[in-house]
Amino acid sequence: MFLQQLLNGITLGSTYALIALGYTMVYGIVQLINFAHGEIYMFGAAVGLFLVTVAGFSLVPALLGAMTFCMLLGVLVEKIAYRPLRGKSSRLSALISAIGVSIFLSTFMLLIAGPNTRRYPEVVNPTTYHIGSLQLSSMQIIILLVAALLMIGLNLMIQKTRLGMAMRATSEDLEAAYLMGIDVDRIISLTFAIGSALAGAGGVMVGIYYNAVFPYMGTMVGLKAFSAAVLGGIGSVPGAMLGGITLGILEIMGVAYISSSFKDAIAFGILIIVLLIRPQGLLGKKISKKV
Amino acid sequence: MDAFITQQIDAYYLRIIIIIGINIILALGLNLTTGVTGQLSMGHAGFMSLGAYTAAILSLHTTLPFVVVLIAGAMAAALFGIIIGIPSLRLEGDYLAIVTIGFAEIVRVFFLNFELGGKAVGLAGIPQQTTFSIVFLIMMVVIFLNITLLNSHTGKALYSIRENEIAAQACGVNTTQLKILCFAMGAFLGGLGGGLYASYMYYISPGEFGFMKSIEILNMVVLGGMGSIPGTILGVIILTIAPEFLRVVADYRLLFYGAMLVILMIFRPNGLMGDIRWYDIKKRLPKKEVKKCQS
Amino acid sequence: MQTKKSAKWAIIMIMVMLVSLVAGCSNKPTSTNTPDVIKLGFLGAKTGSVANYGLPAEKGMKMAIEELNAKGGILGKNLVGIYEDNKGESADIANIATKYITVDKVVAMVGDPCTGLTKVAAEIAQKNQVVIFSGGATGTGVVEIGDYVFRNTLLDSMAVPSVVDWMINTKGWKKIAIITSLNNGYSTALTPVFKDAIQKKGGTIALEDSINDKDTDFTAQVTKLKNAQADVLVFTGYYQEAALIMNEAKKQNLNISMIGGDGLYGQDLAKLGGTAVEEKVIFYCGFSTDKPTPETAKFIDAYKAKFGENPDMFSAQYYDAVMILAKAMTDAKSADPKLFRAELAKLKDYPGVSGSTTFGANREPIKSPVCLLTVKNGAFSLVDKISVK
Repeated sequence: MFLQQLLNGITLGSTYALIALGYTMVYGIVQLINFAHGEIYMFGAAVGLFLVTVAGFSLVPALLGAMTFCMLLGVLVEKIAYRPLRGKSSRLSALISAIGVSIFLSTFMLLIAGPNTRRYPEVVNPTTYHIGSLQLSSMQIIILLVAALLMIGLNLMIQKTRLGMAMRATSEDLEAAYLMGIDVDRIISLTFAIGSALAGAGGVMVGIYYNAVFPYMGTMVGLKAFSAAVLGGIGSVPGAMLGGITLGILEIMGVAYISSSFKDAIAFGILIIVLLIRPQGLLGKKISKKV
Repeated sequence: MDAFITQQIDAYYLRIIIIIGINIILALGLNLTTGVTGQLSMGHAGFMSLGAYTAAILSLHTTLPFVVVLIAGAMAAALFGIIIGIPSLRLEGDYLAIVTIGFAEIVRVFFLNFELGGKAVGLAGIPQQTTFSIVFLIMMVVIFLNITLLNSHTGKALYSIRENEIAAQACGVNTTQLKILCFAMGAFLGGLGGGLYASYMYYISPGEFGFMKSIEILNMVVLGGMGSIPGTILGVIILTIAPEFLRVVADYRLLFYGAMLVILMIFRPNGLMGDIRWYDIKKRLPKKEVKKCQS
Repeated sequence: MQTKKSAKWAIIMIMVMLVSLVAGCSNKPTSTNTPDVIKLGFLGAKTGSVANYGLPAEKGMKMAIEELNAKGGILGKNLVGIYEDNKGESADIANIATKYITVDKVVAMVGDPCTGLTKVAAEIAQKNQVVIFSGGATGTGVVEIGDYVFRNTLLDSMAVPSVVDWMINTKGWKKIAIITSLNNGYSTALTPVFKDAIQKKGGTIALEDSINDKDTDFTAQVTKLKNAQADVLVFTGYYQEAALIMNEAKKQNLNISMIGGDGLYGQDLAKLGGTAVEEKVIFYCGFSTDKPTPETAKFIDAYKAKFGENPDMFSAQYYDAVMILAKAMTDAKSADPKLFRAELAKLKDYPGVSGSTTFGANREPIKSPVCLLTVKNGAFSLVDKISVK
């Protein structure tokens, strides 16, 4: 049972990781908790569902479609709600604006789609593979593969390309990057685009895996994914992956061996303890306060 | 006095006015922590629920006078405020925000498993001892004490932590002590408001004190203006009344609410009343600005 | 000096604000009551997490009011329903209940589908001597609030012993696992009722576990359930989580039936659960569209024609609630809650669309029979009807 639970934890954790990546990227660059990120994930799931059921797409085109939609939505949200605030108001105002967007988007979905939970039709053939006593469903394999691919791709892009370099420079020091001739606005837009696309992918896959899409699905998952990003060290891409998977495993193990009554408390309790011991998170950089 | 008020004002409007009073107490608590001292707390509902449950359980199982019950609730919250204040010494900004969110979630999960608190069903039949005059009296005392505090030396030291913590330290402000103090005071008021709320509502359940409640109180502080007492009061009044009027367009209420926050932040990022304090209004000049230490 | 002055100023400011507020409020027309209509207030959520119960309930109530008005209303007056959305939150329902009573001057409130919220509104209704009639509150401590509080729904404490008896003696399911939804008051109240009945009827509890409403990941719980090797799973929460648990069980190749209360009665159970819930999920409730009585058949047809969907338990119980209120007012020849309340308490064998209703000595409804439903080909279908002892 332990191995099965571990596998359950890793699957849950990789969905957290996909969403945590968006939080961490945006935070790394503009120091903003993008509260609307959970809603973008929800939109990803909903658009994917629409494409599969109404437009009759298969999994891959629907996934790409949802990612594109979320990309545009992320950029739009940044343009409307965050860019006008940048530089001239406090970080708290930006945070409030983000909360506003989050409420707006989830209510908007509630109005057009209704409060009911919907499910994906079976787009993936539900085969189960047995390895010893371990069971692995085809969707679990797809989630793990897609998450791993996207994360490795993202890491390569950030580390190896010019664009990635510009992103790193912007997150290091926005003004200096601007002076170096980097189009900071474009980089920030791109960051939102990439982060949102990942959330969209996460939304589609989670929607298929757990068979549930509803307007408020992003709220709690968003909080958890943000916790995962903080746990791993916010601003750090490998940290988000590590944080997500750690949080997923901790949650599942908590339910399996301690008590399911305190599931959410376990996740947040461990998070608080980690932060008290290592305030910068597992893989975060320690930054001394600037005067 | 209550009998007179009940005769004069329609019960529905009286109810809204009392809720405004309770929300002012809650929001002024958060204003101390987040608005004045700049320690972003997103778990105010956690303190509120601690106060609410303590007060509710005491008034259901003991015959203590209402004031004692309220203070016990507030003290319970303040105790946890101190515990949460300790991480604030090491953490700041968004890390602190996530710790406070986590704290509120843990409190909520605790009450979901708490036999004496009725678990998810909650507590019903709490004696209704909160009346207009009690809320009004407590609110006035809270406002008065807040003004006194913020005009005092300590109050200015609190503002200085928000403006620039390192500079404040360099000027000899004991930031360690003050940060814990501001959390304790904020939590105390949160617990006090929670106790009043529990006793006014007859019924409380853990679901009411979720993340959205914390956000709601935060929005009140932010809308009016961070760190400003008149601003906070204005924010509370607007955000408590607006949903009642917007009920006509019920379905679109939250949509409007979300959009309002964004628009407000774009056009008036410091809230409606910014950093205006009582004496600023009086003199119409911000002469008495907080002395900023130059770093 | 500075402090004292500004404090005085503050007090004046607050006074001005409050006085202007009060003045602003009292300028509004406080009474819109006209003597020739009878007003009923709807309690239920139209948005938020329990909107799934409130929306059909609203339709049931609207339909009943329209039908009554088409027949000339009650006592020569038309009925008017007022439908506010309480979002499923206690602060909102308290505000709305107060508004219904003091501003709209309703004679009765119908609702809420949830026990906890009903209690909040019931305290206010009792204090103001207005009838509150819930079409869904199944938990304890509701009618105890006072003699203006009524409900028309199948009580868990009456239905569960019969259902457990059926499980153990008819089906032979003795090793029972129970899952509770922790943040769901309905579920945490129902679980002890089931546990009590299981112990009395000689079953054993193989596993006790919990989930949270709005969770979607139940992998860990299902893996545990698989290891426990129970004969049957009792789940006391709502349909959405029930469907997701069964989906997960199917994924993990766990073949087990699920028993639950009327919280599982939502059209979405079949939509969300698909083949995983087909003939696997069995729940009890007081309403079934299968093998209807003539009254129920008429109601179902009219509802379908009007809203294009099948009615559920809440639409039926709200419909009945309005009809029963109307009957009480007609019998009492008055729309004064103080008068028709007494007629209401005398109700006996009322043949409603949601089964027959009698109010016992303590005003608790006695409804019979209990329907056991499952999902067959994507629709609810009757498994068994058992009578309540």
